[in-house]
Formats: sequence, structure tokens, C-alpha cells
Amino acid sequence: MPTLSRSAALITLLGLCVTGRAADWELSLDTRAVTSDAGRSFMDGGLGTTRFDRKDSGIQLGQARFAVTASLGELWSAHFDASAWDDKDRSPVGVTEAYLQFRPYPRAGYRFRLKAGAFYPPVSLENRAAGWESPYTLSYSAINTWLGVEVRTIGLEGQLDWLGTRSGHDFDLGLTAGAFGWNEGAGVVLASDGFMLHDRQTPVFGRVGPPGVGVLPFQQFDGRAGVYAGVEGRWLDRVVLRVLRYDNRADPTQMDTVSGAIAWNTRFDSAGLRIESGTGWTAILQWLDGETSIAPPGLQLEWPFRAQFALLSKRFGRQTLSARYDRFEVDTNIPEGDGWQIGHAWTAAWMFDADAHWRLALEWLRVRSYSYYRAEQGGPPLATETQLQFAVRYAFGSGVR
Amino acid sequence: MRPPTRPHRISCASPGVAGALALLALAGAGPLWAATLVINVQTPDGHGLAGAVITVRPLDAPPRRPAPVHAVMDQVSRAFAPDLLVIPVGSTVSFPNSDSVSHQIYSFSAAKRFQLPLYRGKPYPPVQFDQTGVITLGCNIHDDMLAYLLVTDAPYFGRTDAQGAWSAEVPRGRYQVSIWHPRLRENQTDLERELTVGDADRADLQLRLLKSLQPAPITDRPHSWDY
Repeated sequence: MPTLSRSAALITLLGLCVTGRAADWELSLDTRAVTSDAGRSFMDGGLGTTRFDRKDSGIQLGQARFAVTASLGELWSAHFDASAWDDKDRSPVGVTEAYLQFRPYPRAGYRFRLKAGAFYPPVSLENRAAGWESPYTLSYSAINTWLGVEVRTIGLEGQLDWLGTRSGHDFDLGLTAGAFGWNEGAGVVLASDGFMLHDRQTPVFGRVGPPGVGVLPFQQFDGRAGVYAGVEGRWLDRVVLRVLRYDNRADPTQMDTVSGAIAWNTRFDSAGLRIESGTGWTAILQWLDGETSIAPPGLQLEWPFRAQFALLSKRFGRQTLSARYDRFEVDTNIPEGDGWQIGHAWTAAWMFDADAHWRLALEWLRVRSYSYYRAEQGGPPLATETQLQFAVRYAFGSGVR
Repeated sequence: MRPPTRPHRISCASPGVAGALALLALAGAGPLWAATLVINVQTPDGHGLAGAVITVRPLDAPPRRPAPVHAVMDQVSRAFAPDLLVIPVGSTVSFPNSDSVSHQIYSFSAAKRFQLPLYRGKPYPPVQFDQTGVITLGCNIHDDMLAYLLVTDAPYFGRTDAQGAWSAEVPRGRYQVSIWHPRLRENQTDLERELTVGDADRADLQLRLLKSLQPAPITDRPHSWDY
């Protein structure tokens, strides 16, 4: 829905006018040299598990991104993140995040923060760089790829932290709770394509897949808000542990009379652990377990899903070497097995931040998966797909230094 | 630090940390009324602890407060510079912000609660610190920024050098010595000692910590990453 883009842009412009001095912006262009033997990409309606398929080998636009953060007075700020990918989107530029944040000063050891708008719920420990990018690999883990495709908080989130490390303790503790709408489509990609590994975030109110057959994860027609709640613990600046329960509370019997879309009731538990050393090592573990279901008249169709990954990374000055192992599975209660998928993936990546502006990256990704739908389309259910990417990114702006 | 001549024990009023304390007095040249007090702080593995804060208060003489100073704690590349200041009570500190980004400095420590927005090109008056104690500083925009101010009424204070040593010329008499470091795990009461600077021209206090320090904050992580 372009309304949100317009309002976010308006808010940002307003912020720039009001404060003048306190806005940081960033523009980046990421181009890729790709070679891939993967099956048809999900962006073309295929069942490939990577972003680029065998027809995409060659030079591709990774992402063109514009982001701005502006202070609105002392306690409020506005954040706006938009990208273009040049691949059959609903609009040439899509907004991935746009929100206002209220950030009062901590008091008596406690800090409260409130976000309103469209943003990611606090699940990923991997997508910690600007623009919800991963600083470790080009392609995100299966868990975080799915979040980037189908999950966004379009609503409110409150966070309360106890800042123990600011009062002589080793620990910080945090509680998060969110309420959101426009989520009835979340789950449809998981049940139809299964898990994938790529960096193609769906813009807010955007479409996944080609015009006509693509799906819309961000829809609202059942009148029910989704909720999530989570806790976070930190040990100094070395260890982060996050647990979150998410339920979009969609009514699976509801259908949108205009588009014919059905509401997907999606709920999951997630947990993540990130450990960093003072010598440049980072280890990340994430776990996801949930279920999505629909209930058209006379039916109750369920797709339980689970995924895990382990990532190990080492920074050598301006270079980072990372390796990740992903496991994922989508099950179903449909006897024929519609939507069933199981697989695993290995990712190895080298990133080189030459300076604040230039970044080079090389990534090798191999995904091996069984899929019911591949067999249904007449092919072998098992596929081993390999994608090699070399990326050059140039970023500039007042926020790049 | 090894004594060059025959060691002579002066006093040790607080033997709390077993085996961690050795007091040594040495012969040497110097004014008759004063002696050199040398303090050495070591980590459990025997290395000198750099940057430890030493405060020394006379126990016999009437308290003499140090004169207030004006200090500067800058903000450079999204970090406090320096990240620890020891100042006499009543001193003022400016936070000039040399970064092109804004900061919002805060403290909720009992010795001084304050909030300070630091925007580009908008200097803010210095902050006065009227109570003794440790003040932890953070930034409300950049969660990984962390610094400390130690406000003291001790007439002698300073920080250990790279070898873990600190020294001062002090009049002869009884003193209370306190040691502090932001990453210490020891109870603060275990890090306080009474000692007498007697007839010798030099008094040494050596303290070896029993607990290892907290790991130092990670400083080479890109600031744009989520903390």
C-alpha cells in the first residue's frame, strides 16, 4: 500500500525541516556477479531455494538502498529505509522499514522505548547491520530469510530494559511486546515455497513473486491484531540471548472477498544466542518452531515448520570470514504431502570492508532440499542448488563514515 | 617492583585479601617531611593492571580537599575520550562532542543524575560534580557508548601506568588507600588498605587481585551494527 510509503516519506521530510541538523542519510548500490545452477527463483514463481536461478547467471543488481534517520526533537526519531531490486516488484522502490521511535532517557536503571510504524520484530541476531542486512553473509539464514519475506510488525512495539551493566552488574535484561496488523498473508510463502536462503526482503505491502501469481503477505481483512512478546538477556557486550513468542492471531476461516485471499494463522517460538569474543570471533545459534494453518469451509490444513542455524565468523581487521549451517523443514497434515519440504544448506562468505564506502563480498551457498511440489510438477523431489555471488557495494551519505 | 635493599615491613591494617598484600619500605633520598608512596596493582596472573584508579586519604591530618578542576570528556568516533576521568569533588566537565552525529549523554548514578543532548554545533555548558562516587555515563542514541567519572575528595589520586604502578610524594603519616577499576570483580572493601608512611623515604604497597577482571568492551565492532 503506497499510503504508508507516502506518510513515512512525509514524516521524514517533516523531520528534516523541523530539526535540520539531526538527520543522517545513506545511499548505497550493490551489484553482483552471479553464477547459479538453482531451479527457477521464487521471484519468477519457481521453487528454487536461492535468490538467483540458472537464468540469472551474470551481472545483477543486488540492491539499491536509501535510508534516512532524523531526530524529531530530543526524544523522537524517524527511520525510513527503502530499496529497489529491479525484479518485477509492484512498485520500482519498496519501503522495507518506516517507523517513529520514542526514546526517553533511562531513569533509575530502566529504559523504555516505543516504536510505531513498520519494522522487524526482534528475532534475528544475524541481521544486525544497517538496512537489516547481515554483516556475515550476503544470503540470510533460512529463518531470517523467511522473516524478511513474510514477517514485519506493522503496528506498535514497546521495550523495557533493565540496564544492569550501567549500574555495576554484568547483565542487562529486557522485555519486548508488540501488537500489529496487516499480517493475514504471513505463512503462505512458507506453505507454498518452503524455506529459502536469500537477501530479498519483501517491501511493506509488497508482493512475493511475479504479477498475477505472486502473493501478498501484508494484508488486513479479519479485523484481528497479532501479538508477540519476548525477553532478552545480555552478558556485558559479549552474549545476547533472545526468546520470542509470535502469534498473528489471524482467523483462518476468513477470506478477503475482493482478492479471494485466505487468512493464514501463523504462530512461532524463536530463540537465539549470539556470543562474541574480544578476538573477533562471533557465534550465532537461532531456532524457530511454529505452525501456519488455514481453514477454508470443511477443511483444517496445517503446516508445522521448524528451522535452525549455526553461524561461526571471524573478523580479521577489515575482513570477515563466515560459515553457516542451516536446517529447515515444513511438514503438513495433508495426507498427499502438499507443501512438505525438508533440507539443509551450507554458506561460506568472505566480506571485505575496504573503507566506509566500499565493500566487497564473495559468497558460496549450497542448498540441498526435498520438496513435494517439485515432484508434483513432474521433476525429482530432491534438488542440490549452488549459487556463487561476488558483490561490490558503494555507500555514501552523511550516515556513512 | 622489587626492593633494591633490605625490605622492612611498615604496617598492614587490612589483611583481607590473603597473600595479596606486601608492604615494603625502602631507604633513599628525599625531603625529611615527605616520602614517596608507590602503589603497584597486579592482575591474578601477575601482570600490572594499567588504568586502575588510586585514591589516598590521610587518616591523621585534617582532611584537605583537592582543588576543583575543569576537565574535558570528548565524544570521538561514537566513543567517550577518555572513557574514564578522576576528578576532585566540585569539578566541572565539558562534553564537547567532536563527532558529526548527535549524542544524548545520561547518568542515573546516585552521585549525579543528569541528561545532556549534544547536537552538532550547539555547545552545552560544563556539568558540575558536587558529590563523591562513581558515575556511569551512557548515550541514549548509541547503546555501546560507556564511560566513567570517579569524583573524589582524596588529596592524592591518579591512575596506574602501563606497568600497574602509581606514585606520589606524601607527608609521613597514616593513609587509607583505595583502588578502583571499572572492570574489577572484587568487593570494594577488599580493595582498601591502611598503611603508615614511616621513617623510610619510600613506602611500597603491592596488591594482587584475586579475581580476574571482566573482559574489556569490544571496540573494533562497527558502530552501525546492532549492539
